[in-house]
Amino acid sequence: MATDVVTPPPSKPSPEAPSATTTTPTVDPPPSTTPVTITPRPQEPEADVIHIPSYSRWFSWNGIHECEARFVPEFFDGRSTSKNPRVYKYYRNAIIKRFRENPTRKITFTEVRKTIVGDVGSIRRVFDFLEAWGLINYTGGSTAKQPQLKWEDKETKTAAAAQGGDSTDVTVPKKRFCSGCKAPCSIACFASEKHDMTLCARCYVRGNYRVGLNSTDFKRVVISEEAKTDWTDKETLQLLEAIMHYGDDWKKVSEHVGGRSVKECVARFIKLPFGEQFDGPPESTELDVELGVKNAANPTKKARLSPLADASNPIMTQAAFLSTLVGVDVAEVAARAAVTALSDLGNGKHQESSKAPPSITKQQESDNASDVNNLDSTEEALVKAKLQLEKEEDELEKAISGITDEANEIEDKIVHFEEFDLQMERKLQQLQQLQNLLYFDQLTLLFHKTAAPKTVENAGEAMKSE
Amino acid sequence: MKSHSPWGTSKNPVKFRIPTADNLVPIRLDIEIDGQRFRDAFIWNPSDPDSEIVVFAKRTVKDLKLPPAFITQIAQSIQTQLTEFRSYEGQDMYTGEKVVPIKLDLRVNHTLIKDHFLWDLNNFESDPEEFAKTFCKDMDIEDPEVGPAIAIAIREQLYEIAVQNVTSARESRMNKKGRRGFEYIQSSKTSGNGVDIVKLFGHKSTVIRKRKDWDVYEPIVDLLSNEEVDALEAKEERNNR
Repeated sequence: MATDVVTPPPSKPSPEAPSATTTTPTVDPPPSTTPVTITPRPQEPEADVIHIPSYSRWFSWNGIHECEARFVPEFFDGRSTSKNPRVYKYYRNAIIKRFRENPTRKITFTEVRKTIVGDVGSIRRVFDFLEAWGLINYTGGSTAKQPQLKWEDKETKTAAAAQGGDSTDVTVPKKRFCSGCKAPCSIACFASEKHDMTLCARCYVRGNYRVGLNSTDFKRVVISEEAKTDWTDKETLQLLEAIMHYGDDWKKVSEHVGGRSVKECVARFIKLPFGEQFDGPPESTELDVELGVKNAANPTKKARLSPLADASNPIMTQAAFLSTLVGVDVAEVAARAAVTALSDLGNGKHQESSKAPPSITKQQESDNASDVNNLDSTEEALVKAKLQLEKEEDELEKAISGITDEANEIEDKIVHFEEFDLQMERKLQQLQQLQNLLYFDQLTLLFHKTAAPKTVENAGEAMKSE
Repeated sequence: MKSHSPWGTSKNPVKFRIPTADNLVPIRLDIEIDGQRFRDAFIWNPSDPDSEIVVFAKRTVKDLKLPPAFITQIAQSIQTQLTEFRSYEGQDMYTGEKVVPIKLDLRVNHTLIKDHFLWDLNNFESDPEEFAKTFCKDMDIEDPEVGPAIAIAIREQLYEIAVQNVTSARESRMNKKGRRGFEYIQSSKTSGNGVDIVKLFGHKSTVIRKRKDWDVYEPIVDLLSNEEVDALEAKEERNNR
């Protein structure tokens, strides 16, 4: 019939080319540790270097790793005959191959599931697993990809909102220098498109810009740590070792890692997905104990971070960040000291007492932070934080009293119901008695009925005989 | 799973399910909103929780950048088809010792496929997915969307046959005119689809097909040019309207 052979697009080697691939999954340090037979494919036009994150190094075409069995258990628990490891491998390899045909572009689930034979629920779970682990849709260098980390989600949201949502890759990789103080910008800076100016947070707050500019002209831009220098595996390992040894002492940790400031270490640590992945699943329990405290502390830090971190107010974010650096206890003490200081100021008993607590807080903060804002503003912020806490406590109390009221009402209702129940029982008994009576009456009636015709008969006979 | 024994005979009805290793349901979507048409077909696992339906609908709409009005429509359509499937589930199915012919006649992008083969309805370990994958590999089909389309077509036909067997079972039970009634009604209602194994593989015939039947059962895979694809699409549109 048809003589033309029109094959669908890819000029690259067809997806049939099986497991021996050259697309060596590399992470920035050269040797790829995947146990894959590397046979050179001559037709590769572009130099395909596929990046995958270092915590996905275990991936191999032919094998199935333990974390796959853990995260996608439906294929490995033998509950369904058609969901077995072979099928899982087929899905996984097909998805990854599909992605690697065009690694610069993010592949969507729908594209993939149209080409894979199988039920869409399982395919979706495998796809989500691969995406979460960076085996697909991992465009290296961008922090927007990891769906697990809230901190980065907040970052991308604020930056995207600030820039008017241009793209999902939010980080601004170029180095930005402040036009006001000529210092390199980190964390957050303010850019004004109209006047083509960039200000660091400090200058923006201080109002250190030209006359004629308004603070509203500036939009907040977040710079990610990783854009400046990517963390190598070695450094990450060192970081983890240091954390295990030194715990919360970030100065020593940064010394151990070498070349990274305290802030960078902390930021990197927060961004790591799970500490246990580096040591493999069997050790996860031990690590959990050691790092569990860290991880437990970090999520609470993160949780505390989020409500304040998305404020467009740079002061609040600074304060929030500082409080995480400093640790829970110190932050509490600092806050208390600040509050007392302020109240003393207000009362008029300042001079000596106000100098002492601010100096304490100043010491603590300067010890641990590298870029501290105005002291007053941090104290203010801490006071505000306290107020918020109190507000929340009040709300909690109200909620609890509301609940107790409702509980009381429910008790009353239950008592009522019990009474009703009793009445119902009594009525039932009465009914039964009546029924019995009726039955009795019926019986007697029957007897009389049978008795009556006999008497009539007798009477009839008597009559006849007469 | 179950051994290859005549489970589905009239004496031993089996609970309704698609007669394959997995009880997966083929779902077809054909939704039109504001002049935009969305057609799709895929396979769904009915033991997935229903919350998955909305998740899937949202994901599809997001990936294909469809207007959000599609989400509820898609979810509803899937839900309806699933409910229909589940409504058959508690009932009995009489498959008999039947081998049914399955016909493939589909076009996926540029590939046209015609095929005709027999499928054992009693083999509850059969796997249309494997068949589709092997078919694509053997016939050197390059378009990866063909595989799923074949699997879906096979499942749809099996589903239909299974449903027919359920309804015929219901009717034959209502008809109490003795045992004979069962077999007769079955064979007539299913329009002679089922091939009786005994007849086919009796002592007189062999497993090898007669030469004259070869053409009928040979798979045909054609690659079409763009114009032919357009022409066919136009014809299909006209037929559908």
